[in-house]
Amino acid sequence: MPQPTDLLFYAFAGLTLLFGFLCVANPLSRNPVTSAMFLVLTIVSMAGLFVLLNAFFLAAVQILVYAGAVMVLFLFVIMLLDLREEERRKLNRVALGLGGVAIAGLAGILVRALASATPKSASVPAVEGTTIELGRILFRSYLLPFEIVSVLLLVAMVGVILLSKKELK
Amino acid sequence: MNSSLIIVEILVALLGLGVLLADLWLPVERRRLLGWVAAAGVAVVFFVGMKDAAEVAYAFAAPGAKTGMYVLDGLAVFFKQFFLLAALLVILMTTEYAPKLGSGVSEFYSLVLFALLGMLFAASANDLVLLFAALELITITFVVLNSFRRDQTASIEAGVKYLILGATASAFMVFGMALVFGAAGTTNFNEMAAVQKAMGGSPIFLAGLVMVLAGLFFKMSLVPFQAWAPDVYQGSPAPATAFLAVGSKAAGVVLLLRLLFGAVPEIAARWQHVLGGLAALTILYGSLCAIPQRSIKRLLGYSSIANAGYLLLGVVAMSKAGASGVLFYVSGYLFTVLAAFTVVSVILARTESDDLSSLNGLSQRSPALAGALAVAMASLAGVPPMAGFVGKFLLLKPMVPLAAADPFLACVLVAALVGVVISMYYYFGIVRAAYWGQGVADLTPIPTSWAVRVALLIGVAGILWLGILPDALIQASTPAVEVLKPQAPVAQQHSGDR
Repeated sequence: MPQPTDLLFYAFAGLTLLFGFLCVANPLSRNPVTSAMFLVLTIVSMAGLFVLLNAFFLAAVQILVYAGAVMVLFLFVIMLLDLREEERRKLNRVALGLGGVAIAGLAGILVRALASATPKSASVPAVEGTTIELGRILFRSYLLPFEIVSVLLLVAMVGVILLSKKELK
Repeated sequence: MNSSLIIVEILVALLGLGVLLADLWLPVERRRLLGWVAAAGVAVVFFVGMKDAAEVAYAFAAPGAKTGMYVLDGLAVFFKQFFLLAALLVILMTTEYAPKLGSGVSEFYSLVLFALLGMLFAASANDLVLLFAALELITITFVVLNSFRRDQTASIEAGVKYLILGATASAFMVFGMALVFGAAGTTNFNEMAAVQKAMGGSPIFLAGLVMVLAGLFFKMSLVPFQAWAPDVYQGSPAPATAFLAVGSKAAGVVLLLRLLFGAVPEIAARWQHVLGGLAALTILYGSLCAIPQRSIKRLLGYSSIANAGYLLLGVVAMSKAGASGVLFYVSGYLFTVLAAFTVVSVILARTESDDLSSLNGLSQRSPALAGALAVAMASLAGVPPMAGFVGKFLLLKPMVPLAAADPFLACVLVAALVGVVISMYYYFGIVRAAYWGQGVADLTPIPTSWAVRVALLIGVAGILWLGILPDALIQASTPAVEVLKPQAPVAQQHSGDR
């Protein structure tokens, strides 16, 4: 009798794979914006997988940062570059072959790693990435780097405004 | 938690924010005053804020740990004073260069202060995480500083090159840190020192360490991570180049010393030959490539590569004498390079080209500038009684007994000496242009402002002081390296051992 979480895992994993496939090889549309939208769905389904691993914070960050901020950036780039010719592009045999080799290699490594792993570690302590724990580490042990990074973001902001200002004088 | 230790950093951060905000309310014509405010603030922190570290103090520790990620010891205090002095001179230099920077002058000052903040933290980094955060603050700030002259393609090019190559180096470094943490289970240098014996045989740990070193070598512009230096030095505004040459390099030096001699001295000792080979290649590359250069800033870029090689030589000695030699050399380098770049930025504030010929007739246009430039070049070339001579002497001296016992290190020493001889040629090429350059159309005197005079006076006085009376600094740098524990390599039992 499978647990309900197992069912959810297969559902989210299947959705991740499906959306991932549709993102790179959509048979209905070759529009880059459609691909980007499927990438959003892939990321959201992966966030579901993180929730099943009890990594709630990671799931929230995944949606906020990747599905939110990074995807907006992607869409900006796609729309700025106006990739019309991308829709007409023919498949490149060499690239296809190299891609196949890369996939085969990665799959080989994965299968090997899974086969050599001994599945006895059922009693692994559950790593719970709760926000409380993370916040405690961030604001106690790693307070100083955290503050330095905030200065870094300020510098980056000042730099971007300076370098993109219209008038030079 | 002992947060009062970071009072100097807090003051500098507040000063940076203050300069940034003051820009909003000050009328345009009074913004140049901000340079004086920033310089005065740094000077106050330099004279008042820095106290000698009586003992090693840690801050920002994990609960229950004896050690922390921030350390305040002799080495940290030495380098904090170094960075504050460097920033002071750079800000004084900028007040002269300011008209070329357009509307962003006050942002330039505050970015210099934020870069200084990163360097101050780097001086105290006792943990890979703090090391990374501090280095990133320095790198990102310099990307902006380097591309500050948006009206010039070369400056944009410098910024973009530094951004892309710096990001690549950072990516390697972060990956290396992940491997080190994965193998050793800690990012703290003291805790790493406790497990280094066990880690010496772990390929994951060693690979991680090599990648972290690659990131530091990039900052110091050591071969084979030196390719960015000439282009970036040439394209950046002169004050930014000066701060990059002195501050960023010294931040790499202090982190290298802490990592190699604080965290993993045993592994460092095993890598003596590799580091020695890199030092020799760096010295020869920098010296040989500088010979045909016509651009002053590019030439100084290659010279900074060669000097990074000499600094690494002090690490190769694997002794406290070598480490304190590094501290002395980098101090002499501070005065020398900042004096040279002050002269260069005064000249570049009047002309666009930084060709050697723009120095022609300098001795008639401004004897003071020409004199300061000549002193700085003589110090870089290692002529007594300048700081550069004593510095090179202190770096090479601990190498001599090692070279007597080890033919490979003897070759490294010979390469360093050859580099000194070659460098005479191109440094005195600059002096020749300033004093005996022909074909001068424009002989109008170059007026110098008070800020430039103060900066030049500090620079020249520092060069001569360290060259004639080196004892004071040697006595300061010897206790500063007491916290480091370099280990002499074990007598080589296997012949041909690498």
